[in-house]
Amino acid sequence: MQQSFSIFPFNPPGDSAALRADVRAFLSLHQAKLGVPNCWVVADAEFSRALGAAGFLGMVLPQSAGGHDRHPLERYIVIEELLAAGAPVGAHWIADRQTAPLILRYGSEEAKARYLPPICRGELYTCIGLSEPGAGSDLAAVRSTARLTTEGWRLSGQKIWTSGAHISHVMLALMRSEEGSERGAGLSQFLIPMDAPGVTIRPIIDMAGEHHFNEVFFDDVLLPEWALVGTRGAGWAQATAELALERSGPERYLSSHVLMTALIDFAGSEPEPRLRALIGELTAELWTLRQMSLSTAAKLAAGEDPMVEASMVKDLGNSFEQALPQRVQALVDCPSSRDDDVARLMRALLIAAPSFSLRGGTREIIRGIIARGLGLR
Amino acid sequence: MSEQRTLLCDTAQAVFAEAATAGLAPIEAAGFAQLLIAESNGGFGGDWGDVFAVLRIAGAKVPHLPVGELIIGGEISQPIGAFIRVAQAAGAMDAALAMSIDYTNTRQQFGKPLSKFQAVQQVLAVFATEAAAVNVAGAAAAAALDRANGDVDAALFEIAAAKLRTNQAIGQATAIAHQVHGAIGFTKDYDLHKLTGPLLNWRSDYGNDTHWAAVLGGIAAKLGGAGLWAEITRRG
Ligand SMILES: Cc1cc2nc3c(=O)[nH]c(=O)nc-3n(C[C@H](O)[C@H](O)[C@H](O)COP(=O)(O)OP(=O)(O)OC[C@H]3O[C@@H](n4cnc5c(N)ncnc54)[C@H](O)[C@@H]3O)c2cc1C
Repeated sequence: MQQSFSIFPFNPPGDSAALRADVRAFLSLHQAKLGVPNCWVVADAEFSRALGAAGFLGMVLPQSAGGHDRHPLERYIVIEELLAAGAPVGAHWIADRQTAPLILRYGSEEAKARYLPPICRGELYTCIGLSEPGAGSDLAAVRSTARLTTEGWRLSGQKIWTSGAHISHVMLALMRSEEGSERGAGLSQFLIPMDAPGVTIRPIIDMAGEHHFNEVFFDDVLLPEWALVGTRGAGWAQATAELALERSGPERYLSSHVLMTALIDFAGSEPEPRLRALIGELTAELWTLRQMSLSTAAKLAAGEDPMVEASMVKDLGNSFEQALPQRVQALVDCPSSRDDDVARLMRALLIAAPSFSLRGGTREIIRGIIARGLGLR
Repeated sequence: MSEQRTLLCDTAQAVFAEAATAGLAPIEAAGFAQLLIAESNGGFGGDWGDVFAVLRIAGAKVPHLPVGELIIGGEISQPIGAFIRVAQAAGAMDAALAMSIDYTNTRQQFGKPLSKFQAVQQVLAVFATEAAAVNVAGAAAAAALDRANGDVDAALFEIAAAKLRTNQAIGQATAIAHQVHGAIGFTKDYDLHKLTGPLLNWRSDYGNDTHWAAVLGGIAAKLGGAGLWAEITRRG
């Protein structure tokens, strides 16, 4: 019988409860930094270095690269604990989640030696250079170029919406390396030091008044040959693999968890019926999303491609997180003068929420991927 | 899936196909009432994962028959009844999804199959995601019952969450199934209502949304914010 979701058991090796307790013990030492809404875009270098020192970064990387040879599902336990607590993990998030695994798999020996150990220490941060002004959902329209010369690669063009470019040391960028190529063919990935001559970063202030994303310009930037990641011209397939890592994690439904925590604490142990019902509904949705996310992580860890499952978790997670502050707002009276945790977090997430179904692939693109999995396109 | 469960499901497929017209008799004759009874007592020695797998198929093939009630036997407690409905709904929703995909791939309007219209693709993606949520929630509730050795109170959290999430999904999924089928899906002759009719009724059975939201909300409120997360992760 046809199944809408392939279910994989989440069975990490070792003592999961002990690992979870270790993370919670670590977090209790950093109590003052926790409770941050949308916490995986909030950077705190000191916190990232402390995580690195505790062995919670680069967990799935080999020890030879500065990592810890842990299982991907052990890493999952660590990151879900960090997210649920609202820890400021934004500085290292992208490096730990996707850039380091990609460098390990496709990078040159120079790139591995230079970048992986400091990523594992929580000292080196990276950003994702995919989107361009003319290439949003239609990523294959990328036009920024890389040309191989006798001195090395020369890069020109522009990226946009680059989260954390201003705090990053390196960008992993998708560039058109083959002159005259079209669409997905002729693209390659490069590691670009953000302090290389010819790189200019210009802030873009978001609607919450914050500086998270940026424009990045490349004016004849010279890179050594080893800055090419993987196979020349195979950038499209590699970037797709990178997106699988980017889209499959628990951050797609846990970035607002601190509001749920605050709501339950505010409600007390005997809430009035409507509040109690809302908490019940949210709990059912959260629990179900988590079960879907655990299964997706297990499928990815088993070496299979969970493209459809990951897309379902992202879509459902985004919708859950977008509705959450509005459902709280509809029930709990939060005039602008009110400043406790529930009101403060609700307001912050109301404003942040529109981005959830844009970043990492829009709702429409994600549903298109699911539809392809159903055999509709 | 274990080899034993695969065999069980193959049997269920065949027996339920016959039962679709013949009624409960072939299901009784095939011994499904012995599913949960220990082998030492002459039963099949199945677990709750097996019950879930069988009831998924029952939900798709014989949604009008009380197969869950037959398997459990005797008086059905509200949580176990809720689990039965979740499992049936998981199968019925996947079956209604499959019908909707087949239908939109076949039916042509404006010179092409309906499934080639993006608006249709997008709602079917939502349908599939809701069906997936029910299937995952149901499987996780079955796993909780197995961990608890069938002690319903110990698995109440998962059962409450799964039934509530299923009730939420049924509304959206049945609406989409009918929308993409057009008028033909609203007829007695066309089989869609054999799935969507029971699905809609199952929302009321063994506790509606308000009931399970109050149960789960009560548990969560007693745990407190951090306590809820600790409990969710402890339970697995
Ligand atoms: C907070 C935030 C952080 C981001 N960080 C990064 C980053 O670090 N690095 C990076 O490279 N990018 C980043 N992005 C960019 C993000 O990937 C893009 O916003 C996204 O891919 C959509 O592109 P766009 O904004 O150009 O919208 P468009 O592609 O112009 O889309 C606009 C609307 O049209 C819809 N649409 C487009 N095409 C179709 C279609 N074929 N069918 C149906 N509907 C369609 C979209 O779904 C959307 O609703 C970030 C975005 C946000 C909001």
